[in-house]
Amino acid sequence: MSDVRLDVSRQPGPRWVLPKGLRRVPEGLDELATEHLILNMGPQHPSTHGVLHVLLELDGEEVQAAEASVGYLHRGIEKLAESRKYHQVGTLLDRADYLAGLHTETAFALAVERLAGIEVPRKADWIRSLTMELCRLASHVVWAGTFGMDAGAMAPFLYIMRDREALLDILEAITGGRMMFNYVRPGGVFADLPAGVDTKIRAFLDVFDTYLEETDALLGGNEIFQARIKNVGVISRDTAMAFGLAGGTMRASGIDFDVRRDMPYAAYTELDFDVPVASGGDCWDRYVVRMEEMRQSVRMIRQLVDGMPEGDFTAKVPKVLRPPAGEMYAAVESPRGELGIHLVSDGGPTPYRMRLRSPAYYNLAITDEAIAGSLIADAVVIIGSLDIVLGEIDR
Amino acid sequence: MNAAGAVAIRILAMLLLLLVNGVVLIYMLRKVLGRLHIRIGPNRVGPFGLLQTTADVVKLLTKEDLMPESADKWLFWIAPFVVFVPSFLAYLPLAFGPDLAVTRLDTGLLFLLAALSLIPLGVVMAGWASNSKWSLVGGMRAAGQQIAYEVPLMLAVLGPVMMAGSMDLSRIIEAQKNLWFVFPQFIAFIIYIIAAQADTQQTPFDMSEAESELITGFANEYGGMRFGFLFLAEFSNMFIVSALGVSLFFGGWYVPFLTENPVALSLAPLIFMIKTYMGIFVMMWARGSLPRIRVDQLLAFSWKALIPISLSWVVIWACFQRLVLVR
Amino acid sequence: MPASAHETLLRDAAVVHTSETELLGTVVRLDCVNVRPALGALAAGGFDQLVDMFATDTGEAIELTYHLRAFSGFETLFVKCTVEYDGELVSVWDIYPAALFPEREAAELLGMSLTGHPNPKRLLTVEGTEPLLRKSVAIRGAQEVQFS
Repeated sequence: MSDVRLDVSRQPGPRWVLPKGLRRVPEGLDELATEHLILNMGPQHPSTHGVLHVLLELDGEEVQAAEASVGYLHRGIEKLAESRKYHQVGTLLDRADYLAGLHTETAFALAVERLAGIEVPRKADWIRSLTMELCRLASHVVWAGTFGMDAGAMAPFLYIMRDREALLDILEAITGGRMMFNYVRPGGVFADLPAGVDTKIRAFLDVFDTYLEETDALLGGNEIFQARIKNVGVISRDTAMAFGLAGGTMRASGIDFDVRRDMPYAAYTELDFDVPVASGGDCWDRYVVRMEEMRQSVRMIRQLVDGMPEGDFTAKVPKVLRPPAGEMYAAVESPRGELGIHLVSDGGPTPYRMRLRSPAYYNLAITDEAIAGSLIADAVVIIGSLDIVLGEIDR
Repeated sequence: MNAAGAVAIRILAMLLLLLVNGVVLIYMLRKVLGRLHIRIGPNRVGPFGLLQTTADVVKLLTKEDLMPESADKWLFWIAPFVVFVPSFLAYLPLAFGPDLAVTRLDTGLLFLLAALSLIPLGVVMAGWASNSKWSLVGGMRAAGQQIAYEVPLMLAVLGPVMMAGSMDLSRIIEAQKNLWFVFPQFIAFIIYIIAAQADTQQTPFDMSEAESELITGFANEYGGMRFGFLFLAEFSNMFIVSALGVSLFFGGWYVPFLTENPVALSLAPLIFMIKTYMGIFVMMWARGSLPRIRVDQLLAFSWKALIPISLSWVVIWACFQRLVLVR
Repeated sequence: MPASAHETLLRDAAVVHTSETELLGTVVRLDCVNVRPALGALAAGGFDQLVDMFATDTGEAIELTYHLRAFSGFETLFVKCTVEYDGELVSVWDIYPAALFPEREAAELLGMSLTGHPNPKRLLTVEGTEPLLRKSVAIRGAQEVQFS
């Protein structure tokens, strides 16, 4: 029952349209006249990682069909961006994927720079990579903690919050903000690294190595947790490709693609790192891949801090940027996957159209299929393993 | 003072013990879980936060009494009592010291287990009467789980019963003067603690109130003092199974090597309570550290692993005791 | 995959198109009726991932963009077609199931009708909201929305 295998040859998508009433009578009634229960999981729910609404059709504990209903956090970011100057769009994008604000800002900055032909100084590239890797760690620890909570383990969540506090302190020292950074601008970054932050980062990394292994042992080494997530929510490689999955979810299904390595930007051409790939495609593989990504991030941060060059932290850009008319797509590897900004400019001071290609948007589309056939408890765990942030799904 | 008066006083004392227990255990849970989660727990209300539970009780008493409009009013009203009263009944046969039980029943253990078996009835009532699908799922899970785990619980206690030759809890404790039953009955003890953790719906077996899925499971629609009763009953159950475990396996009120010492015997209730609270601490420790088992894995574990093992142990021990120990 | 492979695929599928290399990348423009055969040929020919699908209001019509990627060689392709206002958006979900959500969003936020889709409901906004991404819809200040 828990060994759900997705088959792309089967028709994807929901097989039914929800009728107006609440009760759903299955085909082939027996004398007992059992009915399927239609349950609303959320928008307010401790486990939907934001305001996600999933409609479940249940036969007892088993989910027959599921439909994800989003839009509770739609703030019209794409429309609002059309009336903001280019240096003001950063504040909007911080709030799209609120756990990876720096990545979204960098994607936008890269799109503008490529369109306008702005050359970013090397130090700015390195600072961008450093802050992005720190932000990736912060996002992954939140994912690890909430994933443990979905499975019932309360303790790891609070253990990682201790680490996240230290990370946010470092990010606040560098960027000035804990969550809404508004730091990466077209042309470079907003301010230089403060003095002494490299000592702070090194001290943190030395402690974080042990803490990470501790959390991994507490959560991943626990047999109950492993029994909960192994062979649950299996996504095959073909399905992952067909649905356009991204990030750790895609790499756990066997697709070896990482924007940092294959379409490099910022300082990643000069860094030495591995990209973890697993082949099983179940929740356990996604867990292992993300844990390994955290270790690789630590490795990268060490290289970035040790090799930080001297120079300007930003290029000279005019106060009101007017990139030439045209389109540009720029992608970064956010903690959730390939986050892309497709920018259409008409030569004016504001973007003509800004499209945010968010990885969680595509990851979520697989919920409808991945949950069907599993139990409610598995449904919660599968959604947790996809690492979704409603902010970037709804924009 | 006539007999009826004495019994009345004992019953009142039990009720007081139940309520004080509830208050202390809630505070203890929040502090223990807090420390396990590298945070402090309540420390604002009163010195070290000791008055936190009192404040919570006052809050629950003064809350608005809400009932969902389409709930089954009679069942909704009575369900907390069906959960709470058996929990109180189970205190009666517990022996806190020599001659310190509310009543000495020859079948005290049986009475206690029977009272505990009534609790799933109340849980299902609460889940059904709330007329909410989430509560219903929680109630159904609780029913399946508690029924599945009461069988190994009862089979596990048969070992000490066979060794003591009686179901009277005082006599079982007295039979442990020279050797605590946990040593020969180690397997029964392991089964007992697993079944006890499941029967009181503590993590890793808290499917019926799986917080990250069902929020509070069967108790979703309950607020105010109704919720207070359900909450109190949960802690009361923890105390009962821990006290039962201490009586059956850890020698009750006996201190090792001081079994005839009059001072140790006069402190019997204190020693019993200390041992019980140590047992409760271990239950809370497990609660704070482990993830939750999925409901089908839970039931499979009980029916396919615990029950066969406990049955075999009963048979093996019975043969051993009859053929080897008793000539 | 060689650089002009998409040309071969599209020519084999007998699809009328124009292909240019711009700053964005390789852009293929075609008629909306040819989108399904073109995408089918490209998907079969190695462009396995639909990276993104979205729509833009160009002022005269709505321009759809399909951003495709071939994983071997990481070649990217942008396929564009134009739909008139209140026109029809033909779904390509059976070729690229990744298009399920983006098509609903594009149809909703730009005011098109979605055909061939298994679940053509609104995705992001409530019933009664106008197509927000159209240039004719101005961003207003605070306005109360009444829910019935």
